[in-house]
Amino acid sequence: MLLVLSEEHKEHLGFLTQVDSAVVGEFGRIAVEFLRKGTNPKIYEGAARKLNVSSDVIQHGVEGLTYLLTEGSKLMISEIDFQDSVLVLGFSEELNKLLLQLYLDNRKEIRSILGELAPKLPSYHSLEWRLDVQLASRSLRQQIKPAVTIKLHLDQNGDQTTKILQTDPATLLHLIQQLEQALGEMKTNHCRRIVRNIK
Amino acid sequence: MRFRFCGDLDCPDWVLAEISTLAKISSVKLKLICGQVLKDLQGEGIDYEKILKLTSDAKFESGDVKATIAVLSFILSSAAKHSVGSDSLSSELQQLGLPKEHATGLCRSYEEKQSPLQDSLRTRSLRLNHLDSVSWRVDQTLSSSELQQVNEPLVHLKFTVRDGDRGVTEPFAMTVSAEKFRVLLAGE
Repeated sequence: MLLVLSEEHKEHLGFLTQVDSAVVGEFGRIAVEFLRKGTNPKIYEGAARKLNVSSDVIQHGVEGLTYLLTEGSKLMISEIDFQDSVLVLGFSEELNKLLLQLYLDNRKEIRSILGELAPKLPSYHSLEWRLDVQLASRSLRQQIKPAVTIKLHLDQNGDQTTKILQTDPATLLHLIQQLEQALGEMKTNHCRRIVRNIK
Repeated sequence: MRFRFCGDLDCPDWVLAEISTLAKISSVKLKLICGQVLKDLQGEGIDYEKILKLTSDAKFESGDVKATIAVLSFILSSAAKHSVGSDSLSSELQQLGLPKEHATGLCRSYEEKQSPLQDSLRTRSLRLNHLDSVSWRVDQTLSSSELQQVNEPLVHLKFTVRDGDRGVTEPFAMTVSAEKFRVLLAGE
């Protein structure tokens, strides 16, 4: 599977041919650092001054490199495919090897960072519960009505929400039974076969 | 094996595993660490530096220190939760393998602080909203566009409700006519 690079992208990466390989290595390191921690525009200024070009060109070069790495890691393309995709840019043999090495070294890490970007549902944080018994109400005296009040704390990307639920003990037992049945599904042959094949 | 301090259930495996870590500290130091953990359970904050100093003799790593605090928090809060007497707690801890002096020291600190601990656990129980305050006002309507002489009293009530989690207060206002207010008070 080959990466298809747009004209604009090729133009941005064209800058890399004008500098020597040590600088390209440095740019590669900056690109990976940006993927880990976020961009820092000050670095562009420093590099622009040292190489005597505008900071826009540096920014495009680094961003082009970042895009190349993330697309490659996302699609998990093989070495040969990566080399062929980069060949299109018309870089020197040395530069091609450098880019390939950069891709292979950082592929796993970039994949784990990309994995964290998927959307998430609210996840369980904690649960508080309380058992009450209603003894009387305005309409009826001398009752016995047990109820379980539950406060479910959920966490979604750092935001905490709470849901308040109330049920009687019979429904709670039924709920527990259904959930245990759901867990029991993992032990059926069908699920065991699938889990074995994924591992 | 069923233990009363675990609510008549089995003791969790991690507690069993950490009992041997507790036995490595001297019983005097264990009693002092218990005091700190009890303060934390009552919501007064924990002095981690002090605990590090007390465990430095036994050459604990940071994981061991955290495990000690966790297991002591579990034992003390669980015992308070199930209202276990300090004698039965002591005998159950000895059954788990904690040496006699350690168990006695721990139970003595527990016994001193059992009531305040149970009180603080009671206040921390699930509660949805609290009523903070009620304010009222009675107005007398003299006349209106419909009728010249009205002379009806009107009650304004404002309940200030405190939200359980966020601690913010929200006002809840309502107006009750005289008739309805009499029905509300009669309560039948």
